[in-house]
Amino acid sequence: MIWRFGLLNATFEPLWLTHWALAATLVLPILFGLLGALFSTRRVLPVALACLPILLAGGLLLIDYQQAGLLRWQWQVAGVTISLRLNGLGILMLLVTQWVGAAAALYTPGHLRLTNPGKLSRWLWPLMGVLISALSLIWVAADLLTLYAALELMGLAAVGMLLLSGKPAALVAGMRYLLLTLVGSLAYLLGVALVLGYWGQLDLQTLADVVEPGPVAWVAAALMGAGLALKAALFPLHGWLTPVHESAWTPVSALHAALVIKASLFILVMLWSILLPGTSFAPQLVAWLGMLAIVWGGLVAWRANSLKTLVASSTVAQLGYLMVVFPLLLGPDIAPLPQALAWQGFWLQLIGHALAKAAMFMAAGNLILATGESSLKGLAGSSRRLPLSLLIFGIASVTLMGLPPSAGFTAKWLLLQAMVMTQQWVAVAALLVGTLLTAAYVFRVFRYSFDEQAPRHHYQPLAPGMDLIALCLALAAFGLGLLAHLPLSLLHGGVV
Amino acid sequence: MIASFVLLEGVVALCLGAAALVCLFDRHLLRASCLFVVFALFMALAWLLLGAPWLALVEVVLGVVFTGACFFYALGVFSPGTTYPAYNIDAMNYYDYSRDSCSHGVTRVLLALAWCLMMGGAIRYVMPEMVYSPTEHPLVLASIVIAATAMGAFAFHRHLLRRLLAFNILGSSVFLLLAGMAGTVEGAQALISVGLSIAWLGSLLGALLIRYLLMFDHDASPRPDDGVRGQSQ
Repeated sequence: MIWRFGLLNATFEPLWLTHWALAATLVLPILFGLLGALFSTRRVLPVALACLPILLAGGLLLIDYQQAGLLRWQWQVAGVTISLRLNGLGILMLLVTQWVGAAAALYTPGHLRLTNPGKLSRWLWPLMGVLISALSLIWVAADLLTLYAALELMGLAAVGMLLLSGKPAALVAGMRYLLLTLVGSLAYLLGVALVLGYWGQLDLQTLADVVEPGPVAWVAAALMGAGLALKAALFPLHGWLTPVHESAWTPVSALHAALVIKASLFILVMLWSILLPGTSFAPQLVAWLGMLAIVWGGLVAWRANSLKTLVASSTVAQLGYLMVVFPLLLGPDIAPLPQALAWQGFWLQLIGHALAKAAMFMAAGNLILATGESSLKGLAGSSRRLPLSLLIFGIASVTLMGLPPSAGFTAKWLLLQAMVMTQQWVAVAALLVGTLLTAAYVFRVFRYSFDEQAPRHHYQPLAPGMDLIALCLALAAFGLGLLAHLPLSLLHGGVV
Repeated sequence: MIASFVLLEGVVALCLGAAALVCLFDRHLLRASCLFVVFALFMALAWLLLGAPWLALVEVVLGVVFTGACFFYALGVFSPGTTYPAYNIDAMNYYDYSRDSCSHGVTRVLLALAWCLMMGGAIRYVMPEMVYSPTEHPLVLASIVIAATAMGAFAFHRHLLRRLLAFNILGSSVFLLLAGMAGTVEGAQALISVGLSIAWLGSLLGALLIRYLLMFDHDASPRPDDGVRGQSQ
């Protein structure tokens, strides 16, 4: 498992251009975010110009990785070693982060012009910049200190962004989220303390060599796991997720559901594969909770009255699919083939969900903005007036349901194959039940929106591009199923 | 010399524990905030005793000055009645009358217990000598007691400021535990510094939020004797 995360020695030194590309991916988002706060822009063109160099830097890193394989950086700062590494998974997640972040940034000006939220809106840009930078750092960090700093920076930026709408409900939910995420990070820190105290190492690659299974590794894994599960909204600890999304701005919700919770999950899988190689209890527990999450999240989404609650609860269920895969990734005595299939399916499902959920939140935001109502009943009659927004919602939900040829389908196909090979029939059943429940709550939206009887009043026209960006994201999630070999070839590990 | 050093460590540990306990359970919020400042000062002293003068400096700047200021800001000490004329600060606002919550009681107790259990496990395996002679490291012992109490307080308090205080004290005790388990090597110092900055930023965000929420509460339910609001009725 360790080699899949690129915790190996690199063959080649990074070129000087690679150094600059890395610096640009990490620093430019914050820099442009500060500029955004200074000019408080509400036009698309400057945002697009700011996104361009960051995306170019990401592309450059991809080319470098394909030429040189695994890239490593290491610095000594005041006696502390900071190490970064860029492997296939890292570059893949980095690209997803940059493109989803760019889509959210391009969506924002239109949203701001239509809702006109006042002075607080200028702080959205620096927070978004810090969030993207921290996420990029998480994908490449290779020691516990950098991971901790990036995780906390990301968490605080996320809380700040969710609060910006300024409604009392948002503030109450945000305060709860803030306190929980801070306590979660303390649990993580205590786990790090245990690791540092026992093995005296913070570097992940060295840790992978020295860690041996035993009570210390278990306790440290439990502490880190609890903290990260709280941040990732994994099933029994997901209570804060829905209220937080209820009154947040659309691009913020899209970024949060697509990327922020995934980053905690990424760290969780990485640390557990170092601390708990070949144990069966903890991954099994997570898998059982994941099955409950699929059913519970699906039922809550099915009974939801407001569109945003539906979309947010569906995130809980979709995270359940990822939790069910844990025993295949981390468990003992898994044959190489099902493990490789599960590994590919896991990340493909995660990326597909990130793209589709961002698109879905944008489509839902467009529907709510246009109709002026946030309840499902308020959607009545929108099929005639807002066909494009509904179409986007539909394409995104095709990925969530896992119908061919979307990324969700390919991911579930890989996962089902791995589960059938290892004869995990309960997990197979959970996956199928989850698909049915997803279909149930998605079609409930369409039932309301195709209601032609409802008297319709006023529709707010949307800014140009708001639908287009969401459509691009939804189509990306849809088409990723057909082009799955591109991300999967990157996922093969640290070696080309 | 060594005996006096251990004695000093014991005294600091006792003071830390006492300040933390009173701070966590005092319902008078202003007094609790003052006690938090005292607690943070003792933390700085503890870092000095553990041989980390830079950490002591960071603690004084971030923990005492900045985080302390956040709490006083949340209580509105700096701007009595200036931002909102209708908002009339008196002794009432400094007092937390809310009953401690019993909803989700079982879950919270379970979570707090799980936390204490994992912390106990951590101590048991990394510092096995603590089991036989717990008084050998008085600071670590104090931090265990404080962490357990602060987790309980965090789970049961309903007032947001008190929860924020409990988080900060929990954080400090975790930092102390980290230093006790890993020693004050550079890596541990860097982790603690990052943790202190995060705790300060979190407290700042929390204080701003508490202020906003107070304003909303106040706008939503004006008291009958309020001058400005009363006229509109």
